[in-house]
Amino acid sequence: MASVSTLRQVALADRCYRLLLLTYPADFRRAYAAEMASTFRACCREALREEDSWGLVRLSGSTIYDLITTSIKEHLQTLLSRLKHLFGNQVPLVSPAGLDAMLLTAPLRLQVAQHTDIGCKRIANEDNLITVLPEDPQILQDKGALFVVADGMGGHTQGDRASELAVSTVREVYYQEMHEDKASSLVHAIKQANTLIHKENMAWSGAFDDKTGMGTTCIAAILQEKTLTVANVGDSRIYVIHEGQIRQISRDHSLVADMVRAGLITPEQANHHEQRNVIYRALGTAAEIDVDVFEETVAEGDALILCTDGLCGLVKDEAMLQIVETYQPEESVQQLIARANAAGGPDNITAIVVRVTA
Amino acid sequence: MKEKAQAPEAMLPLTPAVFHILLALADGEKHGYGIMKEVSQRTEGSMRMGPGTLYGSIGRMLTSGLIATTDERPDPAVDDERRRYYRLTDFGLRVAEAESRRLDQLLRIAQSKHVLAPSQGGF
Repeated sequence: MASVSTLRQVALADRCYRLLLLTYPADFRRAYAAEMASTFRACCREALREEDSWGLVRLSGSTIYDLITTSIKEHLQTLLSRLKHLFGNQVPLVSPAGLDAMLLTAPLRLQVAQHTDIGCKRIANEDNLITVLPEDPQILQDKGALFVVADGMGGHTQGDRASELAVSTVREVYYQEMHEDKASSLVHAIKQANTLIHKENMAWSGAFDDKTGMGTTCIAAILQEKTLTVANVGDSRIYVIHEGQIRQISRDHSLVADMVRAGLITPEQANHHEQRNVIYRALGTAAEIDVDVFEETVAEGDALILCTDGLCGLVKDEAMLQIVETYQPEESVQQLIARANAAGGPDNITAIVVRVTA
Repeated sequence: MKEKAQAPEAMLPLTPAVFHILLALADGEKHGYGIMKEVSQRTEGSMRMGPGTLYGSIGRMLTSGLIATTDERPDPAVDDERRRYYRLTDFGLRVAEAESRRLDQLLRIAQSKHVLAPSQGGF
């Protein structure tokens, strides 16, 4: 049975806490104030039961500290959602937990949509993709947002394994890498993915006397504030759309791309060339790999497209530009994939569309 | 066809509060105070969440579909007040798995670098 003095202390602490709850935004109070007060009361009773009045003082101290920090956070959250309402329905680069980063860095906002489709002819989807928008404000500030697309190849449906290994390894290694230089970290992450896939290939060929092996393309992009860092192996691509112009940033490691660069065939001929799928650089095919790096500055209003050749091999750059300039990212991705499928969809189709707004 | 727009990995890394709440709900639904107690007990008091941190995280986790509310009922073990209960969604479970894998990999690296002895890992 609780003593009268205990009940009084709990009642007093409860009244004070209810008053302090007024510092939270009205919407938040409506949703959670009653539960928070009831939780606090239960904490008070527990503190008094297990310790004494001193326990209650300690609890009040930590609760007030929690109240001050989270109340500021919730007010910022409310302010941001109002701004979002005013300026359109955009996804903030950071989740609400990363509000601190939103204050420290330029308030860059990103709208991101991504999708991968098996296409019309293949029996499996060997493409993989990933988007990482870190919740942790420090990670976001230090490392930025990551986008990766990989197009796997190899017998025994191993292509899927290769592209999956590529995107997951790049994500893990990049965010664990402490190197300050983003390009070096990204190259290191891709090289690690290459080593892993190559080792699996070696083990596989040893066990089954199978020399075909698996491999994958890999294009990875980091967007940190307004700096875009791209690392690439193979013929998956990244485009930047700036002021109505579309530009391929990455350089394809494919036979036909080299023939176009050498002036032997036109880009149009390359799209129909019988060796258009032949690439000379891929993750997993050799112990060592060269990775191309590109750096760009993006501006408010720019868009990025990362894709596999199942899209850019079938849909012309101008058509992609028109779609992404016309629709929001979610609708753009659907339209891009539908366009590639309408053109026959001979390969798996993958696209990530990112719209940068201030 | 693969749809990865809702890939659990896209939510990573999680904040400590969010990950602890997911773990607290992994073995069944709980109310807010129940979550708070479980986290404090499991971490032997090293992770104590105040009501503001708890309900701020809960609000965001409801919005992103990691958890859902079930019903409102009293918990006789605490008092006779009616409390809202929260449960893990399938997506929340997949996100918790993905975060665990990520941390496991980090731990292995720490062990391979002899920063942490394998026996200290607790696995």
